[in-house]
Amino acid sequence: MSAAQIRFATLWRREVNRFMKIKKQTLGAPLLETFLYITVFGAALGSRIKELHGIEYVIFVIPGLIMMSFAINSFANNSSSILQQKFQGAIQDQLSSPASPLELLLAFSLGGFMRGLIVAGLTFVAASLLTSLPVDHLLVLLPSLFLVGFFFSQLGVLTGVRAEQFDDVAFVQTFVLTPLIFLGGVFYSASLLPQPFETLTHFNPIYYMINLVRYGFVGFTEVSVALSLLALAAATGALFAINLRLFTKGYKLRA
Amino acid sequence: MAESALHIENLVKRYPTGVEALRGVSLDIAPGELFALLGPNGAGKSTLIHCTTGLAQPTSGSIAVFGHDAIHDYSAARQAVGLAPQELNLDWFLTVEETLDYHAGYFGMPKRERRERTRELLETFSLTEKRDERTRTLSGGMKRRLILARAMMHRPRLLILDEPTAGVDVELRLELWHYVQRINQEGTTILLTTHYLEEAEQLCDRIAFIDEGGIVGEGTSAELAARYGVANLEDAYLALVGRNELSRSRIEVTAS
Repeated sequence: MSAAQIRFATLWRREVNRFMKIKKQTLGAPLLETFLYITVFGAALGSRIKELHGIEYVIFVIPGLIMMSFAINSFANNSSSILQQKFQGAIQDQLSSPASPLELLLAFSLGGFMRGLIVAGLTFVAASLLTSLPVDHLLVLLPSLFLVGFFFSQLGVLTGVRAEQFDDVAFVQTFVLTPLIFLGGVFYSASLLPQPFETLTHFNPIYYMINLVRYGFVGFTEVSVALSLLALAAATGALFAINLRLFTKGYKLRA
Repeated sequence: MAESALHIENLVKRYPTGVEALRGVSLDIAPGELFALLGPNGAGKSTLIHCTTGLAQPTSGSIAVFGHDAIHDYSAARQAVGLAPQELNLDWFLTVEETLDYHAGYFGMPKRERRERTRELLETFSLTEKRDERTRTLSGGMKRRLILARAMMHRPRLLILDEPTAGVDVELRLELWHYVQRINQEGTTILLTTHYLEEAEQLCDRIAFIDEGGIVGEGTSAELAARYGVANLEDAYLALVGRNELSRSRIEVTAS
């Protein structure tokens, strides 16, 4: 391994090691949460609703839950990790190393991406064991999940870098992300909503992400797959470019 | 002329608030030197160190570490520098051993070498028994040792010690002095900031006074005393900060 490869692997290892050391909180809690959602919405509500657009209700909900766990865990990991290290001053050890802004950004991003991937992956395995969850369009599902994970990793990095206190991170997660995810159609189909709520849902970017992932699993979507994928890729690229610029300028990282 | 270990020219650091922490600092430290930077709180010592190590971005001026531009060729420059900062900035999630291992990894050191170097420095700083403990459980003195060990992990040619003995007990202070002197004799260039003037006098070849963002005096302890027309380094320092009335020579001896 070259010195640069060792450096990047170590930066990345540190991020993964952090959440692996507090597994109960970083992996256990989100898995339990997802399991509870499946139980409540699948078993309890599912017995009344039965089907949505010809799809068993619990199967309709699970893709959204997988997307949600990937998104929230990617975001939460990176925003907390960066803010904690800024608080401790420990981030100075990485910042004063020979690592480039790109290496630092990628390593911080991949930490959350890995955590999101593990939680989403375990949710998928559990859901596959408990239900007959299909995978209809793998070639849409994989890039969609990758982009969702990477988008929220970037958003987590951006929030962590900008944040000055834990309240700043909690604000974005509680008052921005959670409502957008819940109102983006994880548990229902937007086409069943009365106006103006149906139209309003179309302004929620997470609605498109949920539809992409749902299409990948069960083949049902209310939006254009190609356009949504393109828009998600563009948004992820733009966010990455913003973060890279902030890291290069040292915004709130270097005095 | 031999390449400088640290060459700083006209360094200016102005914060967005308008505060000018460094106002055209120039400094030259030769390879193998043990150099002290003294000055009151807020004089610009830490800002100068942060600019050298990439933790702050200079507004203008240049910094070269063993000939490598610390701003444009930062990777090579930072590879040559080890920083033991003033704050105990350890990662709470890591153990003592991981702290050293990760640091060396950030500097590209291969695994086997990291393992050997970690063992060696744990031993040197009497931390072997604590190797599996999380950093937050360490005492203040232990944290200080670990920070110094971490700075040394990647074998830097220039070691920057920002108030390394602040708040440590007499025993550890003397241990650190011995260690600093030993590694300096082995060839490591050292830049030390301290508030303990006897520390600078005892350890360092040359001393610079920094005040209000500028270097206001530089030389040996005797040269600085002569420059201010006083008897010793402490009085020279007091002259610099305009507090001559605090000189020990003015304290009446009451003990019989």
